[in-house]
Amino acid sequence: MLGGFSVGKTSLVKRYVESVFSETYLTTVGVKIDKKTVALGDRPVSLILWDLAGEDDLASLRLSYLRGAAGYVLVADGTRPATLEIALSIRKRVEVDYGALPFAMLINKYDLQDQWAISEEKLEELRRDGWWVRPSSARTGEGVEDAFTDLAQRVTR
Amino acid sequence: MANLPAAVVGHLQALALAGRAIAWLRIDDTLALAEAGGDLEAYGLGAVQPGTAVSEQAPFLEGLLPLVETPWEMPSVEVGRGRVADLHFWTGDGGPSDGDTWVLLLEVTPERNAAQRMQQKAYDMTLAQEREAVLNRRLEEANAALQAAQAELERWNRTLEERVATQLEEIGRISRLKRFLAPSLAELIVSSGDESILQSHRRDIAALFCDLRGFTAFSETAEPEEVLELLHNYHATLVPLIQSFEGTLDRFAGDGLMVFFNDPLPCPNPAERAVRLAVGMREAMARLFDDWQRRGHAIGFGVGIAQGFATLGQIGFENRFDYSAIGTVVNTAARLSDIAADGEILVTSRVAGAVSAFTELVDMGLLTIKGLSRPIAVSSVAGLTKVHPVHAALGR
Repeated sequence: MLGGFSVGKTSLVKRYVESVFSETYLTTVGVKIDKKTVALGDRPVSLILWDLAGEDDLASLRLSYLRGAAGYVLVADGTRPATLEIALSIRKRVEVDYGALPFAMLINKYDLQDQWAISEEKLEELRRDGWWVRPSSARTGEGVEDAFTDLAQRVTR
Repeated sequence: MANLPAAVVGHLQALALAGRAIAWLRIDDTLALAEAGGDLEAYGLGAVQPGTAVSEQAPFLEGLLPLVETPWEMPSVEVGRGRVADLHFWTGDGGPSDGDTWVLLLEVTPERNAAQRMQQKAYDMTLAQEREAVLNRRLEEANAALQAAQAELERWNRTLEERVATQLEEIGRISRLKRFLAPSLAELIVSSGDESILQSHRRDIAALFCDLRGFTAFSETAEPEEVLELLHNYHATLVPLIQSFEGTLDRFAGDGLMVFFNDPLPCPNPAERAVRLAVGMREAMARLFDDWQRRGHAIGFGVGIAQGFATLGQIGFENRFDYSAIGTVVNTAARLSDIAADGEILVTSRVAGAVSAFTELVDMGLLTIKGLSRPIAVSSVAGLTKVHPVHAALGR
């Protein structure tokens, strides 16, 4: 899970693994590792989810955490356009170090429609480049299951 | 370390490791767990079994082995049960475990928690600043929108004021024109924006004069209230009639009225309109005076009509303008009105010629009129032989 700070990476993992959501924001330091076994067709697959600390001006991403990663989920906050730029920057650096790994991009906090600040045109632009981009909400669960399932299918292909 | 006594080294180790959960794993070159030790339970690894794939038993090692570099450290990893450890990796250097990979889990939960608290404060502050910036931006946008709306409102107000001023001016002009024109004609002139027709000019008009017979004697004997009532009824009856024929009302003094046709707006048949109006007036006055005559007042009504060129235009100054006609035709009509008996409509020969086709006329011969050097031929209108559409509409 990669992205700027407070975009909802930990909440997305919690929603996906435990089906719960907490309103309390608790920043992640280092990395938190979770495991979820899913069935892809008739095949069980264990996903080891590395929830990395968010990036900001002070704490830049430790790319070493990505060693051995099969794919990643990029997360931006739909109410904070700057986090989309951070996500795009992270993807570039990951690609330089680890090549073109499969990834999914979630524009999170889709439930905060009145504060939404990222245009559909911008997302369409990314989709035209072949990106898997979806709005998501850790609060409601919208788009969460789809993103992990789709990424799991692509990394195990 | 070599210079430190063993007791000191031991104490330092005890200080550094006090209260920390420490566990270790040794993994062979087939990535199977060779052995494990330390506080494995603290990391949820109490059930690990040597001889099986290590990634099955310690999922956090998935993808990390075999090592790409050694030694290698992965700091601050929360691996389970809320415990956070720095993961240290290295390969054995000779001896029986040469080539095996060692993994040391050194607990750093207190350090992680301290860093988390600081980081949390910094992020909360940053998020608060971001929210404040967003709110400020929205406030500025709302303020700008408000200012734009206010400017627009001011512009509308100015436009409205201008419109009101224009309309007030227009209403003023219309009300001035309505004093002598039919309301529809007054509005037509004002809406066209061309009032040049009110400037002094000459035109062929039909002039109609009328007044009451016996009014002077009546006003001497009647109460002032009765006189005012008579005049009110008289004007209230005649003025709408004049307007229905689109006549221009010139003078309005006491019992005398002067109306003319073909100015300021031209009409194709001024003499005909004047005569038809006069007949309508006579019939209306007969009904009105019936009551007064029954009360013993000898009130009558006479009309004089002439046609010819006159000089017309606005007379007066500032807010006291009247539109009036001056010329022999006006004098002639006034004199004919003076000499007309009750119920008589006297017309000049030109007027008689213009209306003879639909009017029953009585030749009055040549009459000497005051102010004219020669006698003129005068006819009296006995009645109409064809009903005018306006009369028909008015039920007369």
